[in-house]
Amino acid sequence: MNTLLLPHRFKKVGWLLLAITTILYILTIVNNDLTDWKAPVFAICIDELLGEHKWFVWQDTEIIQTVMGVLFIVGGLLVSFSKEPIEDEFIGKLRLSSWMWAVGLNYILLIFAFLFVYGTAFLSVMIYGMFTVLIIFILRFNFILFQNKRQTKHEE
Amino acid sequence: MKNNIKIQRAIHQMTQEELAQKLSVSRQTIHAMESGKYVPSTVLALKVAKVFGKSVEEIFMLEKWD
Repeated sequence: MNTLLLPHRFKKVGWLLLAITTILYILTIVNNDLTDWKAPVFAICIDELLGEHKWFVWQDTEIIQTVMGVLFIVGGLLVSFSKEPIEDEFIGKLRLSSWMWAVGLNYILLIFAFLFVYGTAFLSVMIYGMFTVLIIFILRFNFILFQNKRQTKHEE
Repeated sequence: MKNNIKIQRAIHQMTQEELAQKLSVSRQTIHAMESGKYVPSTVLALKVAKVFGKSVEEIFMLEKWD
């Protein structure tokens, strides 16, 4: 079957990472100091607003965004690419249709944002847009799994 | 495509769970096939037929619009 998928146990790890990221995100809203935490990072390319480009340098930066971004994407990928307890062809079909849904809906939302969101607000759209494919996929796939399980239970 | 998996199950006194285990698929898959929501692959159709000791055509039939 599908060799791209990881064993089911990785799904729990993924959920844990997503939970940690969510908590971090809430903390950054509550406590603004957190966003100011600096740590040295290795940058292939870095520039300041209206500043010059620097290549291949170590530089201090607000580290919390880096941590949250990476944790969220890794967590989201683990949740999305882990097998279900019984991964069969029907589940595979639901999985594929959920990806189509996620990519399609993501671009519809993006068109909407292009048309109706301008200025620096659009920057937020771009930032959230980096995560929406994963978020929509996870919501839709798990919802449809839940729905199918419930209908199957109902039958008996 | 329609099928008579549910009837075959009744004849063989098999629950969805038991059939699912024999085919190594999830129970949702059995339910989805029985309710006509999912058309199985050729491999799975052949396996279903084998479990009930029938030919594929005796369990799965084309419909007018197929």
